[in-house]
Amino acid sequence: MSENVDSSTAPRLIGKPASVVSRLFESKQLGWAGFAIAVIFPFLVANNYAMNIATTAVIFILLASGLNIVVGYCGLLDLGYIAFMAVGAYTAGIVSKAWELPILFTIPAVLLMTVLAGLIIGAPTLRLRSDYLAIVTLGFGEIIRLTANNLTITGGPSGIYGIPGVELFGLDLSSPVMFYFFCVVVVSLLVLGSARLGKSRLGRAWRFVREDEDAAEAMGIHTYKVKLAAYIFGAMWGGIGGMLFAAHLSAISPQSFVFLQSALVLMAVVLGGMGNTRGVVVGAVVISLLPEFLRDMGNLRYVIFGVVLIAVMVLRPQGFWPTRAYEPEKAGPDRDGHDQDDGGSGPGAHGRKRSRREHRKVTSSGQERGENA
Amino acid sequence: MTQLLWNGLFVGSFYALIALGYSMVYGIIKLLNFAHGDLYMLGAFIGYAMLSSVGVIPASMSITALLIVLLLTMIISGGIGVGIERLAYRPLRGSPRLAVLITAVGASFTLEYGVSAIAGPNPRVFPVRLQGETFDILGARVSAPQIVLMVIAVLLMLSLNSYIQRTSMGRAMRAIALDPKGSLLMGINVNKVITWTFFIGSALAGAAGVMAGAYYGKIDFLMGFIIGLKAFTAAVIGGIGNIKGAMLGGLLLGLLEAFGSQWLGGEWRDVFTFAVLIAFLTLKPTGLLGERVTERV
Amino acid sequence: MKLRIPKVLAVGAVAAALMATTGCGGILSGGDENASGDSGPIKIAAVIPLSGSSAPTGTYMKNGMQMAIDEINAKGGVLGRQLQFDPEDEACDPTQAAAAANKAVSNGAVVSVGGYCSGATLPTLPIFAKANIPMIIPAANSQELVNQKLPNVFLINGTGAQQSAAAVKFMAKDGVKSVALVDDNTSYSKDIAAQTKKDLEAAGGIKVALATSVTAGESDYSSVVHDITGANPDMVYWTGYYQEGGLIINQLKAAGFKGKIMVADGSVDASLIEIAGGTSAEGVFATMTQTPDTIKGAETWIADYTKKFGSAPGPYSTQSYDAVRLAAEAITKADSTDGDKIIAALAAIDGFELFSGPLKFTPEHTLSSGGFQILVVKDGKFTLHDDLS
Repeated sequence: MSENVDSSTAPRLIGKPASVVSRLFESKQLGWAGFAIAVIFPFLVANNYAMNIATTAVIFILLASGLNIVVGYCGLLDLGYIAFMAVGAYTAGIVSKAWELPILFTIPAVLLMTVLAGLIIGAPTLRLRSDYLAIVTLGFGEIIRLTANNLTITGGPSGIYGIPGVELFGLDLSSPVMFYFFCVVVVSLLVLGSARLGKSRLGRAWRFVREDEDAAEAMGIHTYKVKLAAYIFGAMWGGIGGMLFAAHLSAISPQSFVFLQSALVLMAVVLGGMGNTRGVVVGAVVISLLPEFLRDMGNLRYVIFGVVLIAVMVLRPQGFWPTRAYEPEKAGPDRDGHDQDDGGSGPGAHGRKRSRREHRKVTSSGQERGENA
Repeated sequence: MTQLLWNGLFVGSFYALIALGYSMVYGIIKLLNFAHGDLYMLGAFIGYAMLSSVGVIPASMSITALLIVLLLTMIISGGIGVGIERLAYRPLRGSPRLAVLITAVGASFTLEYGVSAIAGPNPRVFPVRLQGETFDILGARVSAPQIVLMVIAVLLMLSLNSYIQRTSMGRAMRAIALDPKGSLLMGINVNKVITWTFFIGSALAGAAGVMAGAYYGKIDFLMGFIIGLKAFTAAVIGGIGNIKGAMLGGLLLGLLEAFGSQWLGGEWRDVFTFAVLIAFLTLKPTGLLGERVTERV
Repeated sequence: MKLRIPKVLAVGAVAAALMATTGCGGILSGGDENASGDSGPIKIAAVIPLSGSSAPTGTYMKNGMQMAIDEINAKGGVLGRQLQFDPEDEACDPTQAAAAANKAVSNGAVVSVGGYCSGATLPTLPIFAKANIPMIIPAANSQELVNQKLPNVFLINGTGAQQSAAAVKFMAKDGVKSVALVDDNTSYSKDIAAQTKKDLEAAGGIKVALATSVTAGESDYSSVVHDITGANPDMVYWTGYYQEGGLIINQLKAAGFKGKIMVADGSVDASLIEIAGGTSAEGVFATMTQTPDTIKGAETWIADYTKKFGSAPGPYSTQSYDAVRLAAEAITKADSTDGDKIIAALAAIDGFELFSGPLKFTPEHTLSSGGFQILVVKDGKFTLHDDLS
C-alpha cells in the first residue's frame, strides 16, 4: 500500500543482485498491487460480514501504521497506543452528536484533541527511557479508558451511541461497501503518508534516535523534539483511526479501548516487521483477521492464536517482512563484508543474516538502557 | 488510618511477590515477561487441582495441607515457567526485545485460554479457605490468616534476597544482569542461570497464586491479568531489575491504592495510582531504587 | 525491468491468495443465505460472550438456549422445520460484537436471541435492524437499548429502572435509614446503582451514605470494604456480578460489618454463596425476577439442565431459555419466517408463560411488569423473601 520505505534512502545492496523473489518484495509496484487487491476485494465477496471484518482490518492497518511511526521508526515502546484511538473516537462521537455535525467535520477537532493528548502524554514522559516509557504509556492508556468510563460526557460505561456514518458531498457512504471503499482510500493515503514520513529528514532523525539516542544527540539532533514529533504523528494517525472506528461501529464504549487492544496493535507492528510499512500492513491484516478465522474454534481460538504468535516469532524474530538494514552500517566495507555474500538465496536468507547482525545492534542498545539490577 | 495502612501493606505483599519474578527476569534478560501474571493464575489452579483431588481435608490439617500444596505448586509452576522460557523465549535470545515481548503475550494467551479450555470459564471456589481470629492492632483489624500469609511472603522474599546475595548462583545472576557477555566469558553457564531465574520467579508467582486462592477463596482464568499489570507497575516503581525495589514498589503500590480509593472513590483509584506513577517517574526516572546508568555509546 | 510484469502478477497472486482466504471465510459463511427461505432449518442466532471475563455467563446463556432448541426440535420444530442454533462469540467487545452480528445476519438468522453486555449489544442493534431481524434480548438491559426505539428490539429482562424501583421499595419497607451503593463500573451495574440513587433521592427519607465503584476481576476489595465500614450504612446494595459480590460479602463480614447486604440480579447465583464462604452469605437479600429456584414445579427443569450440561443453571440461563421459546412462539404465531410478521407477532404476544411470569410487552418493548421480588439466602440457598405485591 506504499512505496518501499527504504529503497531510496538506503543504498542498494552492494554485491550480488538479490534474487527474483527478493527484488519482488522490494518492488515499487507492490503498494499499488496491495491497493488494487483491497479495491477488488468487495467484488469477490460482498456480504456484510466480509465487508465488516475487512473494514475493521483496514482501520487496524491505519492504527498499526501510526504505531509504526512511534515504535518502528523512533523505537519508543508505547503500550497505551489505543488511548489515542479512544481520544479520536470519543472526540468524533461527542462533537458530531452534540452539534449534529457530519462526522467528517469533526476531523479538525479530532486532530486538535489527539495532538493535545500526544503533547500531554509525550511532553513529560519522553525523557524516560525504554521500559519506563512503556509503563508510563500503559498508565496513560488506562487513565484515558477509566476517565471515559467515569465521566458523564463520554456516556460512562455504556459509551456513546448513534454516531452518524460518513457522508461526503451529500453522498451517503454509510453502506458497508461504500464505507469500506472510503476507509481503503483514507487509510491508503495515510499509510503512504507514514511511509513518506519515514523517508523524510525527520524520518532519518527518528531512525538515528532509535539506533543510538546519544550519538544522535551528539550529532546535533534535538532528540526530545524529534521524539515528540513521532509521538504526535502517531497520535494523529490513531485519532483518525478512532474517528473511522466510531463511524464504522456507530457506537463506542470503554471496552473497545482496553490494554489488550494496545497489545494487539503492537503485535501487528512487531509481527509484520518494525519500521517497514509493508510488513506492518501485512502484520495488521494477520492480527485482525486471524482471530476472526478462528471464530468457530470457540474458546480454543485464543490458545491457537497464542501458539501461532509464539511460533511465528520463533521462526522469524524480525517479523514477516523486516526492514532492510540501514545506511550507517553500510558505510565501511569492513562492516559490510559478510553482507556481500548474502542475498542470493531469497528473502529468508536475507532475514536471517540480517537478523543476526541486527540483533547485535539491538541487544547492545538494550544493555545500554536501564541496567540496574 | 492504620486500617488503610494495613490493607495497603497486605495487598502490596501480593504485588511484591509477583513483582519479584518480573524484576528478576527483567534484570537478567531484559524481558518484560507478560505471561508472569498468568503463572500466578496457574499456581492457583494447580493448588486447586491438588487440594480437590485429595478430597475433604479436616480443618485441623488445612494449614499443613496448604503448606505442602504450596511447596508442590511452587515446584510445578516453576517447572512450567522454565518450560515457557525454553519454548518461547530461548529461541529468541538475542533477537529484538520486542519480538520476545510478543511471544510473551502469546504465552499469556495460551496459558489463560488453555486453562479456560481445561477447567472451564467459570470461577472456582478454592477447597481450603483460611479463616481465623481477628485482632485489633493499633486500631486496625488484622486477621490471623493475613498474618500467616504476610509471614510466608516476607520469608519467601528474605530467603530470595539472601539467595541472591550469598550463593554463587545468586552472584552469577547479578553478574549476568550487569554484563551478560562478560559473565559468559568468565565461565558462567548463562543458560543455566536464566533457567534458575525463571524457576524461582515462576515459583514465587505460583506461591502467590495458592495463597490468594486460599485467602480470597475464588480463582478464575483471568485472575492473573490485572495483578500482572499491577506487579509490572510495582516493579517499575521500585526500579525494574532491582529485587529490593520490587518489594518496596509492591508495598508502595498497595498503599497508594488503599489511600487513592479512600480519597477519590473506587472508580478513580486506578487513575490516581497511574497518575502518581507517572508524576513520580517524571521526577525520578529510574524508579525508587533503580540506579542511574550512564549510557554507554 | 523485463521482470516487471511477471513481478506484479506474482505479487498479485501472493496477495490474492492471502485475500482468497478472506474470501473463503466470507463465502463459506454467506453460503446459505437462503436458509431463511421456506425450507431447511430456521436459524436462531445469539451474539453472546463465550471468551473473555464474561465467558461464564455467556456459557450459561448458551446452554439455556441450546436446551430450549433441543426441546423444541424434539417436539417436531417450528412450522414443521427444525431450529438451528448459531451462537457467536463477542467477548463483550463492541468490535467483535459487530462482526459477530454481521456474521449471524450473513448466515441467514431469522431471530436473534443474544445480548448480554450492554456496551457490546448496542452496536449490534442497527445491524439486525437493517436486516429486519427481530432481537429478543435476554440479559442486556441498559436504558440505552430502550432509548434507541427500534421496532425490532424486545427486552425480556427487567430494566434497571424496574429493578431499582423494587430495591427502593424494599429498603423503605425494611426500615433502612442509610444505604451504600456499590457497582462494578460496567454499564449494567452502574445503571442500577445510578437509578437507585436517583430514586432514593427523589423519595427522600433514606440517605445514600456512599456511592462507589470497584474494578471487576480483582481479588482484594479491602479498600471498598474499608469505605463501607467507615460510612457504616444500614444496608449495602451491590449491583455487580456474583464473582466480585461473593468476595465483597466475605470481606465485609470478615471486617465485622453488621449491616444488611443486598445484591442485584447479576449476583443471584449459587456461586455467590460458595465464594462468600461458610455462612457469610446467610441473610443476604437480592432483587431478582422469578427464577427456577423460586418457582414451584421448576425442579424438573433444573434437574434436566444439570443432567444435560453437568452443572446447575446460572444467571440468565432461564431468560435465555425463554428467549428461544418466545422466538419459536412468535414464528409459530406469525406462521412465517418474515421479519415484519415475527415482530408484529412478538408485539402482540399476551400471556405467554415465561419464568418471570406471563409476558406482555409495553409499547417500548420491555416487560410490562419487571416482576422483581426480594430473595434472601437461607440455609445456603436463595429463597423467596418478599414478592413486593
